[in-house]
Amino acid sequence: MSVFRISYRYANSLMLLAEEKNIFQKISDDADLLFNTLNASKELRAVLKSPVVKSTVKKSLLEKIFQNKINSETQSFINFVVEKNREDILFDIFKEFLVLVDKKNGVVKAKVVSAVDLNDQLKQKMVGGLEKKTSKKISANYHVDPNMIGGFIVRIEDTVYDASVKHQLSLLRKKFSEEINISNN
Amino acid sequence: MAEVRPDEVSAILRKQLAGFENETDIYEVGTVLQVGDGIARVYGLSKVMASELVEFPNDVMGMVLNLEEDSVGCVLFGESTLIKEGDTVKRTNRVASFPVGEKLLGRVVDPLGVPLDGKGTVQFEKYMPIERKALGVIQRQPVKEPLQTGITAIDAMIPIGRGQRELIIGDRQTGKTAVAIDAIINQKYTHTDEAKKYGVNPVFCVYVAIGQKNSTVAQVVAKLEEAGAMEYTTVVAAAASTPAPLQYIAPYSGATLGEYFRDNGRHALVIYDDLSKQAVAYRELSLLLKRPPGREAYPGDVFYLHSRLLERASKLSDNLGGGSLTALPIIETQQGDVSAYIPTNVISITDGQIYLEPNLFNAGVRPAINVGISVSRVGGNAQIKGMKKVAGSLKLDLAQYRELEAFAKFGSDLDKSTLRTLGKGARLVELLKQGQYAPSPVEKQVLSVFIGTNNYFESIEIKDVKRFEKEFQEYVELKYPQILENIRQTKEMKDDTIQLVKKTVEEFIEKFKKS
Repeated sequence: MSVFRISYRYANSLMLLAEEKNIFQKISDDADLLFNTLNASKELRAVLKSPVVKSTVKKSLLEKIFQNKINSETQSFINFVVEKNREDILFDIFKEFLVLVDKKNGVVKAKVVSAVDLNDQLKQKMVGGLEKKTSKKISANYHVDPNMIGGFIVRIEDTVYDASVKHQLSLLRKKFSEEINISNN
Repeated sequence: MAEVRPDEVSAILRKQLAGFENETDIYEVGTVLQVGDGIARVYGLSKVMASELVEFPNDVMGMVLNLEEDSVGCVLFGESTLIKEGDTVKRTNRVASFPVGEKLLGRVVDPLGVPLDGKGTVQFEKYMPIERKALGVIQRQPVKEPLQTGITAIDAMIPIGRGQRELIIGDRQTGKTAVAIDAIINQKYTHTDEAKKYGVNPVFCVYVAIGQKNSTVAQVVAKLEEAGAMEYTTVVAAAASTPAPLQYIAPYSGATLGEYFRDNGRHALVIYDDLSKQAVAYRELSLLLKRPPGREAYPGDVFYLHSRLLERASKLSDNLGGGSLTALPIIETQQGDVSAYIPTNVISITDGQIYLEPNLFNAGVRPAINVGISVSRVGGNAQIKGMKKVAGSLKLDLAQYRELEAFAKFGSDLDKSTLRTLGKGARLVELLKQGQYAPSPVEKQVLSVFIGTNNYFESIEIKDVKRFEKEFQEYVELKYPQILENIRQTKEMKDDTIQLVKKTVEEFIEKFKKS
């Protein structure tokens, strides 16, 4: 089965549990923490993926790292995942969980890339404009890429709004390289 | 050398800039997860359509074939080495399509419409999707007009009608392509004013080369150019070196161009050379996309692959303009094995087949058509009346000849009537031999078949049959041109014409014997 399907199934069940016990906010905070930790530490991911490390070791390792930092429900969920030998996709499970959280809250993530650092006023204007366009709440993260000369690129899910000077220039280049028939036009 | 004036240059630049819009570009993207063997799995592209074209970096195009839960399977139309994991893939919002229009005639293009002949960009009218649903029952009418191939054996015994699908099948090196090329060359006549006068509508041709050597394609194009046939022909080429996905879509592209002519009330002839290579290309990419293999490792939908292509051949009803799309698919068999998977499939789809045999080819019977097992299920409707009349007994005579031929080999004593049948058969076989690139017009075919079936060759030596035919045709052309004119005009063999032909033959035989 594909990783996507498995992680979706685990994430969804965690979601249902959180809703049932009414601790949704707590669990989603835990998920955030777990996702960020796993995202930051390549070694931890490598250990979890490694078939050489015994599952008991993995279990105690995870317990030691996250002890007192997460809720008991989350802790037991992690233990459950390890018991089922799915610790290799723990990262994907929490990634999927956060997607579900966003969906529930009606939030979409936007990646904004601009040539220069945007000030707060511009950022607010940008988010406001995007929220109006998508009619969803936007949680944006910002990047700077001087290579694009000017303008900005926003990516929301699979859709890209490209208003960068670099892209405009490449379009212009394409346009100029097109052959035009002088006699016919 | 022409002078370049600066003001001209800036005028052109301004013209190009005029169409340039400086707006935010909105597009949808995905990320390459995995790439290799001409296949890419892409994450994202959540709204992509099946068989949509997608754009990879480095100007590589791809087509979406698999839509899965978490990823999209694409086939690449370019080098997979130019793409790496993590690359961005862009949607084009356009299903795989082919440019159509008048200006494509005379061009050699690849299955996406990119020119291969170095004659500059292709001017076209519009894009049409390469996969189109075949027409239903209401839009069609029975095939009734002949499509003359210029090959006497075919036009007399295995007639092809406009809107028919006739398979050309045979081993390698038996002249399959030659038959198809002759058919294209013979359409030159339909573009003349003379043909217009006699109510013969022009036929536009599309030659789809799949998995062939580039040198072979170049040879075919050169031959067509030499014969002046490129003016009404487009060559869609996916040579052996092109990626399998392009070879797979090539016939659909050709059919799309043919449909353009058909839908405008004109007539098109599309040749798919050859579909066995297309099936192999499709098998390759199906296996790479992890679709389960079936018989001979072909995927389960290989029948549908060809049936949906050949169903697009059609004769439109008069309400829709009466255009037609004739398909001549070619299949190469291995060691004469027609019961292999792909040949049986295509035989069952088409309206008949022309079977070419290496034995006949080597015995000097060219075109090497085995008339015994070649059939056309449309039959006499696809012949002019005159041909129908004279060719009626031809097939029977040849059948009797083949039956007796086996006995004759024992060398036993044969009675007179058997000897006669054998002699007639041998002369008919000789008569149906025809050189390559030498298509013959229908009125001359009628004449030849008439003298053949009416035993006028009895007194002629077998080796002289061809010479007799040629000289007789010349004689008629010079002395009695009204005979040919009559057949052309009425498309029939009226009794008075028959009388005149009989008189002429007898007259000519006397002269021929003296020479």
